[in-house]
Amino acid sequence: MFKLLKEIFRTGEATVKYPFAPLPVEKDMRGKPEHEAERCIACAACTIACPANAIGMTTDVQAATRTWSIDYGRCVFCGRCEEVCPTDAIRLSTEFELAVARREDLTRRAVFRLARCEVCDTPFAVAKEVAYVQDLIEATAPGAEDAAQRRRLVATCPSCKRLHDVDQLEKLGVGRRIEETRR
Amino acid sequence: MNAPFKATKKAPVGASHVEALRAVLPHAVIEESRQTADQITVTVKLGSLPEAVAYLYYQRGGWLSVVVGNDERALNGSFGLYYVLSMEEEDRCYFVVHAAVPEGKEEFPSVTPKVPACVWGEREVRDMYGLRPIGLPDERRLVLPDDWPEGLHPLRKDAMDYRFRPAPTGDDETYAFVNDAKEETTVVPLGPLHITSDEPGHFRLFVDGEDIIDADYRLFYVHRGMEKVAETRMGYDEVTFLADRVCGICGYAHSVAYANSVENALGIEVPLRGQAVRAVLLETERLHSHLLNLGLACHFVGFDTGFMQFFRIREKAMMLAEMLTGSRKTYAINLIGGVRRDILGEQKTRTLAALVELRDDVTRLVDMLMSTANVEGRVKGVGRLDPQVARDYSPVGPLVRGSGHRRDTRVLHAFGGYEMVDLGINVGEGCDVLARTVVRAQEVYDSIAIIEKLLTDTPRGPILTEDFTYKPHKFALGFTEAPRGEDIHWSMTGDNQKLWRWRCRASTYANWPVLRYMLRGNTVSDAPLIVASIDPCYSCTDRVTVVDVKKATQKTVPYKEMERYCRDRTASPLK
Repeated sequence: MFKLLKEIFRTGEATVKYPFAPLPVEKDMRGKPEHEAERCIACAACTIACPANAIGMTTDVQAATRTWSIDYGRCVFCGRCEEVCPTDAIRLSTEFELAVARREDLTRRAVFRLARCEVCDTPFAVAKEVAYVQDLIEATAPGAEDAAQRRRLVATCPSCKRLHDVDQLEKLGVGRRIEETRR
Repeated sequence: MNAPFKATKKAPVGASHVEALRAVLPHAVIEESRQTADQITVTVKLGSLPEAVAYLYYQRGGWLSVVVGNDERALNGSFGLYYVLSMEEEDRCYFVVHAAVPEGKEEFPSVTPKVPACVWGEREVRDMYGLRPIGLPDERRLVLPDDWPEGLHPLRKDAMDYRFRPAPTGDDETYAFVNDAKEETTVVPLGPLHITSDEPGHFRLFVDGEDIIDADYRLFYVHRGMEKVAETRMGYDEVTFLADRVCGICGYAHSVAYANSVENALGIEVPLRGQAVRAVLLETERLHSHLLNLGLACHFVGFDTGFMQFFRIREKAMMLAEMLTGSRKTYAINLIGGVRRDILGEQKTRTLAALVELRDDVTRLVDMLMSTANVEGRVKGVGRLDPQVARDYSPVGPLVRGSGHRRDTRVLHAFGGYEMVDLGINVGEGCDVLARTVVRAQEVYDSIAIIEKLLTDTPRGPILTEDFTYKPHKFALGFTEAPRGEDIHWSMTGDNQKLWRWRCRASTYANWPVLRYMLRGNTVSDAPLIVASIDPCYSCTDRVTVVDVKKATQKTVPYKEMERYCRDRTASPLK
């Protein structure tokens, strides 16, 4: 009994003021992932990395938009999204008070405009992503002409690219050459 | 300070057991294969399965870790049964006895009559795969609820989608609780549900007045179907994050065990520093878990001031976890091949300082607990686990160590970071609640010493390797010593970057079957104390049904009331 009383007096007050005063947390704590739509190019790397399927994307071809969303109710705060993001658009903050009054409020969305294919004019990829890739490959292109050609290529949708390739092969007569070789 | 640890190639062990098995049952062994230096899988004829397991269990110093069922029909036309034995006397290794159950004749001879420890494993295999254990004394369902349709076995590959919820087949609970009492008893139901808890269980105490004559329980009310989700929805490299969620207290131990199982199956060598970080975090987890249980031990004997004091210092262990991993629950740190976060210089210094403080705190509090007059009177001789019962049922952790058995995975099957430290096994001889509490208190000091050693002599180098490729249909075991005992995972890769089978056995799963024997002969007011001494996630039990065998009356007591009675021991709810 004496030891207990001694311990109690030694300890003094252990209770913290929280929630009436903010609770200090470690600077590296993994809290709420914050998404910065301005930096995001909607490349979908985070949707693939997320083990809990908290992050997702849906495409609306009619409206030519793609919607990125995160459901904080599913999030496990692992930070895989942060690791894979090429543009630092998603970062884990130290915020941990995520309670909301309605479940829907746990979901945050960002809507991105889709770029239209230069050839067929159908929306095919997020405009910001296309621009990002164009800038990247332009910077590594050997000459101005290559750069322009690559920009066009990136702005073309996959099915048009395929058609174009078939067309090119036809012009080059690859098929004929294969036939000849076989003979 | 010792010289830094260097990894040595482990010599293969366990061959003597195969030889011995071949000598005793000459025609039983069909095939043997080796997964790692200390893991052997031997295929035996289905008819010899009980003899083979019983021989290894009782004659060769084997303890049953887990029974794994596997639907391998698409691979080889049969179901696989794997009895995983931890060989703990000479030539220590993990020895897996495998037998194939052919499709179309879905039954096998039950091992339970020879080795009682197999009872839960075989009941689960029957529920999940529809394989009938012939001669199994307990034919009740284990995992599936009473209102689950007959003939729907969820883990069969062709059975159902993981999202499917079949309509209940009835409204009644038809589970028959077993009572071995010779005379009439009264029934005390404890449970089943508390809405806020994650693991409800229904306990039924058969009493004569205040004395417990027998006890039975029904668990798995909120089976989450994690194995099915892992096999069908998740990539093999994402399951570490799911394995974290197996437990709210010792999730990291599961994550490590899972990662180890895949690493063993694919032959991945985790860099030494990664292994050391894992061991540090496992011990951090043990610190907060044991301090929690020591606090609860105070709570259940009515010593709430002690409970508050233990929780106050437990918070320091939680802060350590937050600093080292960024999450109070050491979650999401493992990947296949290593860990995601290194321990930096500043963190090391702060951890070492915190541990010095924590060691002093624990010393003072344990001293205080043991010198409090009526604590010993409440826990000594209560909830006795007979060493022979323990031998028959293979329980794990401080529970089995408190009954004099030297079982600690960290020492017997040293893995990862534990190969870098010298560690003894804390054993108690009392077999009672007191012995378990003392074992836990001693292990707190061990954990502190392990972390200090690993932080001072940490091997240098990378913490993660990505130098491996996924290979189909490889399997192996992974194991850790969680705060509650051995966690064991058996994983088999599929051919689609997923798992074919993931069997995860939490430590408390191995401890439940002996609880019945621990409750017998004690008083009703000690029941919560005894249940708490196996350290289940405590939300497991929230109400009790008490059945008086003599009066044949039945009364349901709210759990809060049972708990109050355990603490105050006045105003019995049975009167």
